Amino acid sequence: MTTCTLVVNMKEPTKMRVLISLIAVAAVMISCTEKPAVPQEWQFEKTIDLDGINPIGIAMDGNDIFLSDGDHNRVVQVSEGGAILFEMDGFERPMHIQFGTAEHEITDKLTTSMLQERALFIPEYGRDSIAVMRRNKIDYLVLQDSLDAPAAISVYKNEMAIADFYPNRVLYYNGTDWISIGTEGKKLGQLYYPTDVQITEKYIFVADAYNHRGQVFDKTGKGVAFIGVDQKMNATTGIYVSDQEIFLTDFENGRVLIFDMEYQLKQILETGVHKPTDIYVKEDVLYITNYRKGELVKYLLKEKNDV
Amino acid sequence: MKQITIILSIAIGLFAFAKADAQTSKDRDQFEVQVDGLGCPFCAYGLEKKFKEFKGIKDIAIDIETGDFSFSYPSVKVLTMGALLAQVEKSGYTPNLAKITRADGTIQTNKQNEEVAKADLTMTKIHVDGMCGMCKARIEKATVTVGGVANAVWDVDTKLLTVNFDSKLTSETFIEKAAAAVGHDTKGTRATDKSYDNLHACCKYERTN
Repeated sequence: MTTCTLVVNMKEPTKMRVLISLIAVAAVMISCTEKPAVPQEWQFEKTIDLDGINPIGIAMDGNDIFLSDGDHNRVVQVSEGGAILFEMDGFERPMHIQFGTAEHEITDKLTTSMLQERALFIPEYGRDSIAVMRRNKIDYLVLQDSLDAPAAISVYKNEMAIADFYPNRVLYYNGTDWISIGTEGKKLGQLYYPTDVQITEKYIFVADAYNHRGQVFDKTGKGVAFIGVDQKMNATTGIYVSDQEIFLTDFENGRVLIFDMEYQLKQILETGVHKPTDIYVKEDVLYITNYRKGELVKYLLKEKNDV
Repeated sequence: MKQITIILSIAIGLFAFAKADAQTSKDRDQFEVQVDGLGCPFCAYGLEKKFKEFKGIKDIAIDIETGDFSFSYPSVKVLTMGALLAQVEKSGYTPNLAKITRADGTIQTNKQNEEVAKADLTMTKIHVDGMCGMCKARIEKATVTVGGVANAVWDVDTKLLTVNFDSKLTSETFIEKAAAAVGHDTKGTRATDKSYDNLHACCKYERTN
C-alpha cells in the first residue's frame, strides 16, 4: 500500500522508471523461486555392517532404524553405524515389518483390547501371527481368518494388508471388512508366493515374489497392472512405494529396480546390493537390507552426475 | 556352615539338572540333511515350518548358506530315513546327503556306494533349463543317479550340465530324459507339464518350447 501511494505521487518519468524497476525485481524474484528441474538419481553412499544380523525387513520410526532378523528370531533397533541399540527376541521368523496406527482388536493371549496407538507390526512367518510391539510389550492382532506364513504387513490409516505367502493371497482390511485378494497363478490378479505389500491412497502394491514381478491391485481386489515383467527379475522379495517411485528388490540377481508411477523403469541399483530383501525411503535417503551378508546399504538422492 | 549347605544344595541341583538334560538328549535321535539351494529365507523358513508338523521336533537348526538342516526327535517315534527324505520332498525341496544318529549311537546315511569306473568316460555339455541353487541340486541328483554317469555339474548361469559318463552304459538322450523327468526342459527333451508344475516356486523357469 505504501509503495502504491508513493508511485502515484511521483512525476511521470520517475513513475515509469520505478514501475520498470519493480517489474524487473518481480521477474528476478519469480525466476529465483522457479528453479529449473535438475534431474536426480539415487547414488551409492555407503555399506553399513550389521554384526550378526541377517535383516529381512526394515522400518523407521522418525530417524530410528528397526530391522527384523529372521535367522535369529528377533527385532532390533540399530544406529546409523549398525550397532544394536535395542533388541526384542522370542519371535518366530519375523519378516517385513511396519510402523503404523490402526484401530484394531489385539490380544495378549489372556485378554483382548483395542489397539489405539502407534505400534510396530511384525508378521511371524513361523507362528502364523502378526505381533504388535509397543515399547517392550507384545500383543497379537486378532484375525478371523487363519494365516499360513505371513511375510509382510502394511498399515495405512485404518486399512491393513497382509502378504499371506503359502495361500498365494493378500488379506486386506478396508476399514470395515477383510477381503482375500489373489489366487494362485500368473494372470493379472493372480499371485505366486507374495512376500511384501504396501497400501497407498488408491492402490495395494504387492511383491509377487515367484512370478518375479510387482503387481498393483485396486481396493476392491482387482488386479490393475504388473510392474517389471520384462526386467528378468528372479525372486521379487520386497516392495516400497514413495510419492514418486516404486522400488522392487530382485533378490537372486542382487538388484533394486526403481520405476516411476507409470510403472516405467527409471533406474537400477546394483552397487553394494547383494541378496536384497527390503527397501525403506525417508526423504532423500534410501536403505536396502542385504539379507545374506548382514548389511544395510545407503543411497542418497542427488543430482545426476552426467548433467 | 549355612554357606556350605547353600553351596552344596546348588551343586547337587546343578548335577541333577545336567543329568536330566543328558537323559533327555539320550532319548532323542539326531537328524542332519543337506538341502542344496536354500538361498532364500522364505524357502528355508518354509522347510523348517513343514518339519514343525512333526510333533516333538526340537533343536531345529538351519544354515541357509550351506543348506545344512538339523533337528532332534524323540527316539520312541522312530522317524525313518524314508520318512525324513519324503518330508523334505513334500516341502518342495531335494534332499542330498542325510544322516541319522540314533539315541543308541547307531548311524544311518543315504549315501550311495555306486562307483563308475573312471576310465573311458565321455564328457558332454547339455543345455538344461533351470533358475537357482535348488534347480542345481535337483538336476544334478537326477542325472548323477543314472546308471553309467560318473558325475554331473550344472551351472546356474550358463544353464549347461557338464556330464562325464560311460557311453557303454548310458547315452546323452537318457541323461536328458532324467533331467526332464524332474521338471527341467533340455534342448532335446521337454519335461511333462505335470513335472514342471511340481517344481518349487523358486524353480519355475520360463519355458521356451
